[in-house]
Amino acid sequence: MLDAFSRKAISADSSGGFIGGAELSQLKAFIADGNKRLDAVNAITSNASCVVADSVAGICCENTGLTAPNGGVYTNRKMAACLRDSEILLRYVSYAVLAGDASVLQDRALNGLRETFGALGVPTGSAARAVAIMKASACAHITNSNDTTPPKRKMAVTQGDCSGLAGEAASYFDMVISAIS
Amino acid sequence: MKSVLTTAIAAADSASRFPSSSDLESVQGSLQRSAARLEAAEKIASNYDSIAQEAVDAVYQQFPNGAAGRQPRQCAVEGKDKCKRDFVHYLRLINYSLVVGGTGPLDELAINGQREVYKALSIDAGTFVAGFTHMRNRGCAPRDMSSQALVEYNGALDYVINSLA
Repeated sequence: MLDAFSRKAISADSSGGFIGGAELSQLKAFIADGNKRLDAVNAITSNASCVVADSVAGICCENTGLTAPNGGVYTNRKMAACLRDSEILLRYVSYAVLAGDASVLQDRALNGLRETFGALGVPTGSAARAVAIMKASACAHITNSNDTTPPKRKMAVTQGDCSGLAGEAASYFDMVISAIS
Repeated sequence: MKSVLTTAIAAADSASRFPSSSDLESVQGSLQRSAARLEAAEKIASNYDSIAQEAVDAVYQQFPNGAAGRQPRQCAVEGKDKCKRDFVHYLRLINYSLVVGGTGPLDELAINGQREVYKALSIDAGTFVAGFTHMRNRGCAPRDMSSQALVEYNGALDYVINSLA
């Protein structure tokens, strides 16, 4: 597992160079925005069950066949498994946001996920759609801009521009989507 | 590779929970201290050549014939060049370790197995210790870097010296 710092060490070691100049200024920017990053992780974790429930409810509303007999989440057992797996994927995305690097997500969650879903008969289109809903919802929580619909859940944090972090989190969700679809 | 961030994540993952507030606190503490580490790393990246050269000079002052067990002909230019190359290698890994904020790069890329290698090549680890001790004593705040950065730099050097001792 790597983070933003050890990623730089690995890439510098492959060329035998020192870490200086441009790489260090990127890391300094990472440190300067460290509090924003922690707030972003907190925004995901504090709203995790809401984000997960919305995503699974969303795919069921969009595709009513899912809850009908022989549907992807027919029976409570499958629905519970779907909620659990969504939460696991969101958890690994939160780790990746915290580390500033996707390796933990790739190594521990996405590696072999497509084969596992295939073997279990998970409808990958619906699963990818659920992740896309989590992406939209989590990014809205990160930028604290989820005030368009009631109940207007907003975090009491210092306001700032977190669009960069929201974009980074979106890229991790996109990795999940491309890994399963 | 072990660092404060990956340690916090690994702990959260083994309990299959989201990063808790105490995880985030420990990460924040590490980020606050990291400015000094990065400063030291930056100074090493820009001055490694002269640091290594001074260390080589210090080694050959203490061991005029080079490492014990070497033939005299190996103590000439070639030996000094190889000695400097090795010090640059260690400085590069110290640079990585300061950036990462843990001893992971030093452990994984140098210290694991180093004793066996130097024994097989009949190089006295004391020669390296002489060079690193010189670096350790040569660093000066605020001439070279800020005092907090110097603490981090000396800490990394002490770690290497202890691994060789």
